[in-house]
Amino acid sequence: MKTIKVLGPGCPKCKTMFHNVEEAVKQLGIDAEITKVEDIEEMMKYNVLTTPVLVIDEQIKIKGRIAQIDEIKDLLK
Amino acid sequence: MENQTLVKEICPTTTQEWIKEGAVLVDVREKEEVAQLAYDVPNLLHIPLSEFEERFNEIPKDKKVVMACKSGGRSLRAAGFLVNHGYENVVNMQYGIIRWVQKGFSTKGDTASVLGNDGGCCSSSSCC
Repeated sequence: MKTIKVLGPGCPKCKTMFHNVEEAVKQLGIDAEITKVEDIEEMMKYNVLTTPVLVIDEQIKIKGRIAQIDEIKDLLK
Repeated sequence: MENQTLVKEICPTTTQEWIKEGAVLVDVREKEEVAQLAYDVPNLLHIPLSEFEERFNEIPKDKKVVMACKSGGRSLRAAGFLVNHGYENVVNMQYGIIRWVQKGFSTKGDTASVLGNDGGCCSSSSCC
């Protein structure tokens, strides 16, 4: 099972990223746990500066911009 | 500000005192924001968050450092980044330049540019 986290303090870009992740997972039909991380202390563990950030299996994949659905699907394959 | 324990936070008034004692103020807002309104203090370093990972070593380790931005969100993350990279004298200034201006502290530029909406950091291009 994939663990996916979207880090960000809950701004519009972060919400869009989270939605895109949900859509990508649905389209792929894979088993994944998706978490939105808004806690600042949790984010700091990842040394996050610009948000949103996409973390897949504890690896930072995209930071500081919104990932598109197809892009996320490629990262999950 | 948000409840976290990694980074100590101080208010704009305390920041004024620290600066008088020689602390460095690091503004992490983006260039276009600073062009509109800048902090007017000695010992000021401007390192946009979008360049921070490449340029953070410009910040002295042997001085007190106060991180600042528009409303305290981005500077808090930058401060956490510095702590995670071995900086021990780093604090975050809560509430950013918005509160700084409300307190009447010295700036250069158009104060209306930050007092207009309190959209916090999210409204800036670098995404909170």
